[in-house]
Amino acid sequence: MVVNATHEKIDGGQLAISQARLEAIVRKMTNTLFRTARSGVINTGRDFSCCIVTAANELLVTAESLPIHVMIGPDLMATKMREYSPDIRPGDAFLNNSPYHGNSHAGDHTLLVPVIDKEGVYRYTVVVKAHLADIGNSVPSTLFANATDVYHEGALIFPSVQIQRDYRNCEDIIRMCKVRIRAPEQWYGDQLALIGAARVGERELLALGEELGWDYLDRHARQWMDYSEQSIRAAIRKLPKGTVTAANAHDPMPGMEAGIPIKATVKCDPDNELITVDLRDNPDCVPYGLNLTEATAITGGMVGVFNSLGPGIPANAGSCRRIKVLLRENCIAGIPRHPASCSTATTGVADRVTNAVQRALADLKDGIGMAECGLGIPATAAFISGKDPRRNNEAYVNMITLGQTCGAGTPWSDGWLTIAHVGNGGLVMRDSTEIDELMYPIRIFTDRIVPDTAGPGRRRGAPSGEVEWGPVGGSMEGIWSSDGNTYPALGARGGGEGAKARQYKRERDGSLTPLGAFDHVKLDAGESVLGFSCGGGGYGSPYEREPERVARDVVEGWISVEHALRVYGVVVDDEGNIDGDATVKQRAVASTLSR
Amino acid sequence: MNGMRLAIDTGGTFTDLIVEDSQGQLSFYKSPTTPADPIVGVLKVLESGAKGQGRTLSDFLGGSVNLLHGTTRALNAVLSHKTARTGFLTTEGHPDVLLFREGGRTDPFNFTREFPSPYVPRALTWEVPERIGADGSIVKELDEARVIEIARELADKNIEAVSVCLLWSPINHSHEERVGELLTEHLPGIPVTLSHRLAPMLREYRRASAASIDASLKPLMSDYLSRLEGELNNAGFSGRLLMVTSNGGVLDAAAVAAAPILAINSGPSMAPVAGLHYALEHAGSSTAIVADTGGTSYDVSLVRDGHIPRTRETWLGDRIYGHMTGFPSIDISSIGAGGGSIAWVDDGGLLRIGPESAGADPGPACYGLGGSRPAVTDACIFLGYIDPDYFLGGQMKLDADASREAIERDVAKHLGIDVETAACAIVELATEKMVHAIQDVTVNHGVDPAAAVLIAGGGAAGLNGVKIAERLGTRRVLFPHTGAVLSASGALLADLSANYTGPAVTTSADFNFESVNACLESLEKKCIEFSEGPGANSSSTTVKYSVEARYARQIWEIEIELPAARFKDKDDVDRLIELFHKEHQTIFAVNDPDAEIEMLNWNARVSCRLHNNRQASQPRMTSLKGGKRSRMVGFNPRGRFETAIHPIGCMITGQRVDGPAIIESNFTSVVIDPGAVAELLSDGGLMVTIDIENSMNGEK
Repeated sequence: MVVNATHEKIDGGQLAISQARLEAIVRKMTNTLFRTARSGVINTGRDFSCCIVTAANELLVTAESLPIHVMIGPDLMATKMREYSPDIRPGDAFLNNSPYHGNSHAGDHTLLVPVIDKEGVYRYTVVVKAHLADIGNSVPSTLFANATDVYHEGALIFPSVQIQRDYRNCEDIIRMCKVRIRAPEQWYGDQLALIGAARVGERELLALGEELGWDYLDRHARQWMDYSEQSIRAAIRKLPKGTVTAANAHDPMPGMEAGIPIKATVKCDPDNELITVDLRDNPDCVPYGLNLTEATAITGGMVGVFNSLGPGIPANAGSCRRIKVLLRENCIAGIPRHPASCSTATTGVADRVTNAVQRALADLKDGIGMAECGLGIPATAAFISGKDPRRNNEAYVNMITLGQTCGAGTPWSDGWLTIAHVGNGGLVMRDSTEIDELMYPIRIFTDRIVPDTAGPGRRRGAPSGEVEWGPVGGSMEGIWSSDGNTYPALGARGGGEGAKARQYKRERDGSLTPLGAFDHVKLDAGESVLGFSCGGGGYGSPYEREPERVARDVVEGWISVEHALRVYGVVVDDEGNIDGDATVKQRAVASTLSR
Repeated sequence: MNGMRLAIDTGGTFTDLIVEDSQGQLSFYKSPTTPADPIVGVLKVLESGAKGQGRTLSDFLGGSVNLLHGTTRALNAVLSHKTARTGFLTTEGHPDVLLFREGGRTDPFNFTREFPSPYVPRALTWEVPERIGADGSIVKELDEARVIEIARELADKNIEAVSVCLLWSPINHSHEERVGELLTEHLPGIPVTLSHRLAPMLREYRRASAASIDASLKPLMSDYLSRLEGELNNAGFSGRLLMVTSNGGVLDAAAVAAAPILAINSGPSMAPVAGLHYALEHAGSSTAIVADTGGTSYDVSLVRDGHIPRTRETWLGDRIYGHMTGFPSIDISSIGAGGGSIAWVDDGGLLRIGPESAGADPGPACYGLGGSRPAVTDACIFLGYIDPDYFLGGQMKLDADASREAIERDVAKHLGIDVETAACAIVELATEKMVHAIQDVTVNHGVDPAAAVLIAGGGAAGLNGVKIAERLGTRRVLFPHTGAVLSASGALLADLSANYTGPAVTTSADFNFESVNACLESLEKKCIEFSEGPGANSSSTTVKYSVEARYARQIWEIEIELPAARFKDKDDVDRLIELFHKEHQTIFAVNDPDAEIEMLNWNARVSCRLHNNRQASQPRMTSLKGGKRSRMVGFNPRGRFETAIHPIGCMITGQRVDGPAIIESNFTSVVIDPGAVAELLSDGGLMVTIDIENSMNGEK
């Protein structure tokens, strides 16, 4: 490509071309990791992210990454790495999973690799982050809501620890992990995949710098972020001015029976093209694994804003400049203080924060914002562990990614059926029943949507998912932290709430016993868990939903004829035939009553 | 094998015909595709062919032994929702296999696209009371009475085809088979696809999707193929009608009618078959990247070490938003980029290309048919890559002023740059998109583009084929003489072939010789049946075995060709293990020699040769006249200078042309960038060699 002199502005044509080159590198990293990882969470679930951070420690490029993983965090970790290791050199790699040092939560292992050019100048940090199946916690789950502190949580914490030097493993660290992390071979396979992806990124960036010139790439980064900032400024300019507070609550925990209130105050300032999200008026850190990390608190707020503004705004440090997220220390939705546990910091409270922000923005104006997504992570997607009688009682542990529906109604579309949870953005893949049953001694008895569970609205939420699973030929442990059992996903602008999550144990006689929202069960042969995920909230009044859409939902079995009448005011039979006149009357009566 | 062989490829815009006479000489014909009834277009192009050979249609057809046919008929039917009303039968408790799919989403903050509808609606899905376990044991007996009831309900719903996918049917197919029998008995005359017969592989979504797509195409494709055969016979054809399959081979029309999912990528799957031939013939290379450039789409496929990689992840429509076929097929990835892609500048001042396309109507601004927005073709006109007076050999006059105006108005002004810079950026950004499409494929298959030859086919291939090669670090680009009809030319080279799959799950640590060898034996039996049946008159037959394997607890398998057809002892297993580690290293740049390996599906591919592989020296198209002998051409970044124009008909075999130059043929214009050298091959193709070190790519 043409590269002009140092001082010149890069034109919009060249900028597009060089950005495409950088995105191609992240795609290559992503493809490499997806194809080589060993644990189902990564290689089926796709629960990982790759990105490029500049020498100024700013996020430059992500591609199909989980929103909650990357917007803020890679920058914080790159900063820490360079602060702790000033003598960094090519071939180094650092592992960070510390909730107090910029990472999302301990369950995400983040690998940071410096990109240093031939002259020894630091150019970029490539960041690869993956949610692992196990991290050596005191229980076989990386989402441990009941952890009272980081000691109880029990993970090996790596606050930016060197794991490679001269492109070779620091075997001390590898040995530490292998004796502590369950299914060590699976972990090591994942570790190789993380390293492989990061090294692909490093190699490609070095080649790109040689080709285009480092100076050009520096200017590219500055301009690309300015472009991204311009694009979010234009979007904010169109919003009404105002301040809205939206509140919801995380489900109760022992000793906190009323639940944990979460609040976000969103100030929209179109004159200054700035959105401020204030999360300071939230409770102090709690003695559970629910606390957010600095990275997930800020990102949680930002995801709510990005979800609300519509497509087309690149997410990087440039666009993030126009979103201020205000935090305080020792706050459940703020900056945690050691030894507070942040085991579920990418889901639970983070999702509550994001949901509150997008619902607050919806209150400002029709056509923006979103309803609330269902909460995670339900018993349909439990961490399962045990010994596999088919494989000489080899230990196994993994998260099954099934049944997570949860999408929220938006101004543009019905809830995405497989969003999983709002911070995930639906990027994860789901398991195959046959592959789960092949890999683990498990049987998946049911896997389906549940009628009449979606939050109603002009655009409805996604319905709940139902999954029943249990062990085959032995016992099995299951752990989940399922927020949304008490407080459902709320609707926006007159839309209704989605169904709550719930879960039961099916006893050998077929009867059902309710199980806890944050539970750890041991199942014997013949027993199973029946789990339900949350439905997503609806956006806009259900009376504004086009009768044709309601009729299609009836025909397809997403809602019943009765639900169509009672909730949507649409008179339709089970074949989808709409009685237009009766519907108009029904809706008129219903809206009079609701006034 | 005397007599002519014909290959017809029905594409979106044109129906192409290649005639190979008994001396192996080729001639090409094109006729517009007739979407309402594609058979009309097929007969039209045959008439042109007959005329070109100076014969009557019946004489021409009577002298033809094979007619090899690729068609987008099946694909179009799926994309336009014109398939049969299909019912789907699934295991009780799992009605939403087709709804949930495999999850995933592409653009995290874009909620404007709705969740995709299932291939078969829930309203036409029936749950069958039964269950088989992972070990093949029957967990719950099949409720036959309920199946009979379902048959009645299917009839009540006016179902025209049925797909059946029960959990674990590849391991134990007894329930699926029984359901098939009951449907035949109680729902006579309605075509049924049983998933384990069509695609005996694990992962229920993919198998269910494959079975449902297949069933939904049965009425339509049976009708199409029987009508086509009838019309051809009426017109005098008494040879063998063979259909191009997604597997990169050909099969008798009846076999494709019985499993019409094989016709989904019929057509494009032949590009790599042609690519392999040309790469070996002219570049002595068994590794090639094959790119086919159309007006609106850019198709990329690969040849790696003489093999054409396959995939089960073929998407019909956009990834995630369309439907995955789940059926093994030549890996072809297609992006919406081509000469028709529109260039525009967004509100933030960034250049964008596509996704909108000018298509053929109204077309780019230069067509003067009402399109006013600049397309990639307009930038090529402005830069002088295409002679506006000599487009398609002078068949169409283009308006260069309209191109310049459109670029200036819609792009240059908004970017604050001159038209020349803008046009260069448009071509370069379009090139970049194509490069990414290639890189996605090469990364996934572990191919180093620097070690491959790029085979560039399609009418617009010449405009940036050399630039793409430069960006990829590929040193050689071949523009085959059949480039405009690449898929049809591949059909002439294709083998009659079939693939068989069987599951036998085992591991490297505890290799089950008995079950693996039994599986291989049953595959071999099927291959022998094939070679003695449809393949009886072929000149030679080969059978290749492979296994889909992975490291323990990994999810995605890679395909490893087996060193032998059976496993005698541990040494045989060790050899396979070694091959696996090596392949894993090649594809993913890492391996784990201590880890256990799991093997899942075993495959056999039988190929019966139909041709003599003698498609070598063809007469070139000659007597090209017109066009200036030189013009000003813009070569980013060196600016614009007087550039020699070589009509290909005026070149002699072996003649070398140094870039910058443009070589024009009837169907394309090949831009030879500075630093590249083109050589005319004996068959009329062009081989361009790039001096990577001195190409513009490395310059700052």
